[in-house]
Formats: sequence, C-alpha cells, structure tokens
Amino acid sequence: MLGLLETGSGFWSAIIWVLLVLVIGSMVIYIRNKGEDSYKKNTEQDKPFISGNPEENKESSHLSANHIYWGFTEALKGYYNPLIKIHTGNINDYSGWIIVITVIILIMVGVSG
Amino acid sequence: MKLNKYFERSLWVFHLNTGSCNGCDIEIVAGLTPRYDLERFGIKLVGSPKHADVLLVTGPVTSKMLDRVKRVYEQTPDPKAVIVVGACGTSGGVFYNSYNISGSVDKVIPVDVYVPGCPPRPEAIINGVLQAWIKLENLRESMKTAQAK
Ligand code: SF4
Repeated sequence: MLGLLETGSGFWSAIIWVLLVLVIGSMVIYIRNKGEDSYKKNTEQDKPFISGNPEENKESSHLSANHIYWGFTEALKGYYNPLIKIHTGNINDYSGWIIVITVIILIMVGVSG
Repeated sequence: MKLNKYFERSLWVFHLNTGSCNGCDIEIVAGLTPRYDLERFGIKLVGSPKHADVLLVTGPVTSKMLDRVKRVYEQTPDPKAVIVVGACGTSGGVFYNSYNISGSVDKVIPVDVYVPGCPPRPEAIINGVLQAWIKLENLRESMKTAQAK
C-alpha cells in the first residue's frame, strides 16, 4: 500500500506525499506566525471588511449566488421591506386592496367630477 | 525577526470615495498612469483598508456614507494616516451646507494631510502622499520607542 506507484508519466508515493505535507505545512505555519499581531483585538480591526457595511449575523448575511440584485434591494430596503410585508400571499388581502383602491379612485373621481 | 518590517518601505493606499463627483478619483488614477507611475516607488492602491497604511478620501461625507467612513477608518491597522483629496472633502466644496451632507471629512475622522483643489493635480496628490509618508515614518518611530520603554 505504501509502495511506489509508477506510471508512464511519473510516480506517486504515499510516504513522500505525507512528508511534503508536513514540511510545507510547517513552513506555512512558521511564516504565518511571523505576521502582523499588533492589531487591536475585539475592535473593528478584528472584523471583516464588507465595503464599510456592518457585519450581520450569519443567518441574515446568507446570500445565494444567483441573487444578483442583492446590492440593489439592500440599498433600497426602506422601499422594499414595506412592499414585501404587503405581499402576504393571501388572496383576501389582495381583494381588500383592490376594493380600497377602487373606493379611493371613485371618491377622487366623484369629488373632482 | 518580523516579516512585516520589510513591508514598511512600500506604502499601500486604500481609496475611499465618500460622495465625490469622481473628478478627484480620476486624478488619483492619473497618478498611477505611466506619466507619473507612483507604483515604481512601491505606492499602490489596495482593495481593503485592512491592507492599507494610508486612507485616501475624496468627496464630502454624505449622510449614507457617515458610519461607513468611520468603520473603514477603524478597520485600518495602526499606524495609519488619512489624506483628504479635493475641496469637497476639505471643506464641503461645491456641496457645502447641502441637505444630504454630514460635512467635511475632518468632522468624522482625524485627517493628517489636506490636498486642496477641484480637482487637485496629480503632482499635488503625490506631494500629499509624501507628507503622509513622512508622518507615518514619525508615527512608526514613536511606536517603536514606546514599545522599547
Ligand atoms: S473637489 Fe471638485 S473634483 Fe473633487 S470631488 Fe469635489 S467637486 Fe469633484
């Protein structure tokens, strides 16, 4: 199992692979430990940069890849949130809206006519 | 030995537009074109304030950008310097006292260098970066002596 696998285009050995992972891994850890450690913990310097926007909790920051209008709806959420609330999916509500708006239009026509 | 020590000689800049008309921003980009070629000195624009030594701010601070400017400033690692490019960021410029403006940049975050003009020439911006560099070197020195004590 740990033997040398030779093919026409090279060889593969599990032992060399494990050794390389260990050597490269320890080099990466060594270089990483030489990095910046002077940042201020538990401040904004600890948080991700999201174009200056605040970091939201994980549930509300989930974005599906096909949501190409996210920036648009996020910027106009003052407009969209009430609209989404109105769209209850209940046909009685929609009929109610039609009746209310029809009454308003009739009153306006009646007053101005 | 700290690796970071070797990065100190190159100045990485994060450009933040807080509501500028784009005039100043074009002049900043002009500083990177072959005519001025700031990158040969190791000065380059980066995509995140977390990588930056300097914040280059253009435009007056609009109400929408107010808390974002503060957050980006706080996310920039110390020591840092802030350069304001253009009349708008310096005083409000043509947008002075406008209904949707929170004011000049120094009303929101501390500013080290002002580059006046509408827009300033690339030479002026480069001079501003140089001033910020001198200020950063001093800051680094004082941080080092404070650490040594
Ligand atoms: S200073 Fe002039 S060029 Fe710069 S953002 Fe303001 S109006 Fe535009």
